[in-house]
Amino acid sequence: MVVMVLFAISAGPTGSSDLIFLLRTAPALPPRLLIRRPVSRRSSADRPRPASHRSSSAGSARSSGSCCSSSSAPPPPRRRRFLAGGSDAGRAVATRRVLDMGAGENNPLGAQNAWDMLSEEQSQKHITTGSGDLNGILGGGIHCKEVTEIGGVPGVGKTQLGIQLAINVQIPVEYGGLGGKAVYIDTEGSFMVERVYQIAEGCISDILEHFPHSHEKSSSGNKQLQPEHFLADIYYFRICSYAEQIAAINYLEKFLGEHKDVELCIYTSQVRIVIIDSVTFHFRQDFDDLALRTRVLSELSLKLMKIAKAYNLAVVLLNQVTTKFTEGSFQLTLALGDSWSHSCTNRVILYWNGTERYAYLDKSPSLPVASAPYAVTGKGVRDVSSNHKRVRVT
Amino acid sequence: MANMPVSEMRLPPHLAHLLAARRLDTAKDVLSLPEVELMAVLDAGLPTARAAVAHVSEAACPPCQTALALLEERVRLGGGGRLATTLCGLDEALGGGIPVGKLTEVVGPSGIGKTQFCLKLALLGALPEYYGGLDGRVLYIDTESKFSSRRMIEIGQKSFPQVFRQEGLAQKMAGRILVTRPTSLTDFTKSLEQMKVTLLQHDVKLLIVDSMAALMSLENERATGFRQHPLRWTLSFLKSIAEFSRIPVVVTNQVRSQSNVDGYHFSFEVDKKDGNNCTGGFDSHLVAALGIQWAHAVTVRLVFESHSGHRFIKVAKSPMSPAVAFPFVVETSGVTLLSDEGIDVTGPEITSIRCQGKNVLAQ
Amino acid sequence: MEERMNQDQPSTEGRCGRFWNGMDLLKDVTENKHFLPTGLEGVDTLLGGGLRQGQLTEVTGPSSSGKTQFCLHSASHVAAKHMGVVMYLDTSNSFSPGRIATIIDGTPGLFGQRAYGVQLLGFDLQPKDVRLKSIMRNIICESVFDIFALSEVLHQLEVSLLNDKEKNGGSRIRLLIIDSISSLLAPIIGGKYPQGRAMMISVAMTLKKLADEHNLSVLVTNHMVSAGNGAVKPALGESWKAVPHVRLVISRERGSNMCTATVLKHTLLYAAVFSFPPRWFLMYAGQQQQ
Repeated sequence: MVVMVLFAISAGPTGSSDLIFLLRTAPALPPRLLIRRPVSRRSSADRPRPASHRSSSAGSARSSGSCCSSSSAPPPPRRRRFLAGGSDAGRAVATRRVLDMGAGENNPLGAQNAWDMLSEEQSQKHITTGSGDLNGILGGGIHCKEVTEIGGVPGVGKTQLGIQLAINVQIPVEYGGLGGKAVYIDTEGSFMVERVYQIAEGCISDILEHFPHSHEKSSSGNKQLQPEHFLADIYYFRICSYAEQIAAINYLEKFLGEHKDVELCIYTSQVRIVIIDSVTFHFRQDFDDLALRTRVLSELSLKLMKIAKAYNLAVVLLNQVTTKFTEGSFQLTLALGDSWSHSCTNRVILYWNGTERYAYLDKSPSLPVASAPYAVTGKGVRDVSSNHKRVRVT
Repeated sequence: MANMPVSEMRLPPHLAHLLAARRLDTAKDVLSLPEVELMAVLDAGLPTARAAVAHVSEAACPPCQTALALLEERVRLGGGGRLATTLCGLDEALGGGIPVGKLTEVVGPSGIGKTQFCLKLALLGALPEYYGGLDGRVLYIDTESKFSSRRMIEIGQKSFPQVFRQEGLAQKMAGRILVTRPTSLTDFTKSLEQMKVTLLQHDVKLLIVDSMAALMSLENERATGFRQHPLRWTLSFLKSIAEFSRIPVVVTNQVRSQSNVDGYHFSFEVDKKDGNNCTGGFDSHLVAALGIQWAHAVTVRLVFESHSGHRFIKVAKSPMSPAVAFPFVVETSGVTLLSDEGIDVTGPEITSIRCQGKNVLAQ
Repeated sequence: MEERMNQDQPSTEGRCGRFWNGMDLLKDVTENKHFLPTGLEGVDTLLGGGLRQGQLTEVTGPSSSGKTQFCLHSASHVAAKHMGVVMYLDTSNSFSPGRIATIIDGTPGLFGQRAYGVQLLGFDLQPKDVRLKSIMRNIICESVFDIFALSEVLHQLEVSLLNDKEKNGGSRIRLLIIDSISSLLAPIIGGKYPQGRAMMISVAMTLKKLADEHNLSVLVTNHMVSAGNGAVKPALGESWKAVPHVRLVISRERGSNMCTATVLKHTLLYAAVFSFPPRWFLMYAGQQQQ
């Protein structure tokens, strides 16, 4: 229904403000609803240009979006899948790609123009890290559709941050979260379920603090705010060799497909974060052919990129550090080599600065390099200021 | 499951034949090849190669559990599984003691009391559950010939006088501790390989390696490649032993003096710290002998150190607890805490290992 | 430019199999192969005007040296200044529309210096936002995660470009960016089987053909990897080395926003141009800092 409305407005003569309005008022919808292509309406005669003009008339609601651009503005480019429609070869290829994805018409990997991506990006919510300062340098938190690598020295809090994210992704939508589920791929055996329980409790107590009226809500709302509920939505894989790690990542695509809710209600709950703790361990243990390791790892990183994009989820890779000789001295650097260092969207390095833990945003396509302090408390990852008293865990 | 034979995966027949014909027998064989290489090996097109990878991956992927199921299982198996050290403050900080199924490292300068601590743990592992032990056998891999039954029994008699009053208990306890003394790395590797069998045969409840660093004698982590390999192998082996036999594994590590201070910063930190590289005038600058990779892999790290006239046990890395330090002394009854009240540790102090040479000698 | 292309139409069909004499080629170059400025003054001067249509330009550099920023800048500038269509093939989910908007917004002479914020989707759409929208809709991004997908996309692109040429007298696509091509090629080259290399060469040929026949400027990014002894070199080895017409190395000082670009290889510029200082400091990353 929403699609129809969107299309009607966009095909109308009124201009863009209505369209924008719609985009603004519908942030709770999953973005894929907004981008759904109204196939049946493709040949709508309202279009200002003849169908034969340029490429073809096939267009998504988003690219044929509106007529706010004056007639001097060029017609928007189309998905080339349809643009190639004249050729059998092209069509065959296109069909195969649709089949490949299995997602049918809603292929999230298709071409999109930057304007639509911008509006989609702005309706995205980010996964909070638990620390406001840390969210600040990350542009609001961990972004979905991106691969974020987090590295740091032993004991600085990588696993803690990983667990925290697995919990925070589940903060219900009505409390400002994503209400998603988490996949935790543990290669090191450092996932302590008691600690997860504590962090879940910490998260819940913070929610209740921020929303003091929530206990007046219905019991179903409160049921969501139980640590057990949070724990039940973390899917845990224990990986014991690099081959299993590859297998798990390959299998993930099918797994996510099976755990994707078909209902399009607001409370749709699906996996929104995949955490690999750590991506390094087994590849550092027993892979002798380093050239082959580089190839396997780069293929792995592309698969993770694809999963992130196709399922609109965040991939978080925890990485270890190693020492490296550069510029005449030994320095710490993240493991797995130069080639791997290119294979993430964002990179965050956790380190000690004096007596405080700091996070340093080392790489990001959209944000400046910056650093911010954070703390690991009994309740999990928090801001430093709110943590003068360390809570002793018993 | 990496070594799962392809023949047991119930693949579609044509894929199974194809893989068998190319001698891709295990999941590992199939999955360590990039797509294009697999296509070349199979001499098949992309869809076939992808189908093969998808099938093999699904079969080889370990089962998925929810965290809730893990928690329930933990509760069902009783109490989360800890080996209490009987040092109250430390137990509290660790959430009950040395965790079962994880790798715990004890690191510190020589002579500070690591072996004393291990002896006590060995004894505890052997003690009946009634007295807070694990009531099982203990496998003690003694690489430096430091294990002393007499000393262990002495520790036992002093710390649990009421227990050891029983006739023959001391002998029984000592008999439960299996000590091996590998003399070389090859020996050690061999004994590790036999360990899986031993563990099953003897109902082993605790594994102690004292000390790991002596065997590895890696004076420099930067010597990458060949020399690191046995370390890496040992590391993952010990971790898998801990996990699948559900026993605590305790490993001791030595220290070495740090030769080069600037090896321990990220490149972006160097600019900021200009000329302030000295991280706080410690008495002497020590780091753990097994390098940073080892440090990543252990789940709990206990640092034994000495400064300002006391010895301290410091929880330097633990997923459960913040960093705290406890002053201790070594008495005839073994390692004893002076206070159960931990001192909070922050910043670089957490990872540092301090040693006042004079102090250690004096005691 | 559009009109000129229309006039040019007859001469561009059936390129293959036809012999070209020097004059034809010269005419083609002067009429169709223009420089597309990247908007980064230093780089444009260094490259003799920008990214050349018909050529393959490679940008290489260590991780987080600014390669993606370079691509985003070029895409924004080409779309904004020339109203050309930009195809952006993204392999690492690092295409940032927000960053594009900021760059376009910050381009002097287009919109002034207004900081671009969350108010973008506000109720009142300023005329400049309309402009922004039309510019941004000319940047098409597609995610590509393996070499097979890349081949398909390139094939489809070729088909559609041919269609456009027949029907509309030329495509409006000016710039094709692949960020990064090395992450697609890394899994397939270096093994003991020759197929991977063959695929790489075939992709390279397709790119060059597209560039030449349809007057595209192709911009690809490549990784820097360790060459042993602490030095770094561009990835993908010797056989790729011959492919790009222009190779540019970018480096960035840690913690600074200043990037340095150095030309490794340039097939067009003659010696005199190289007498420019070989290094130009770019301020392009400087806009990141607010």
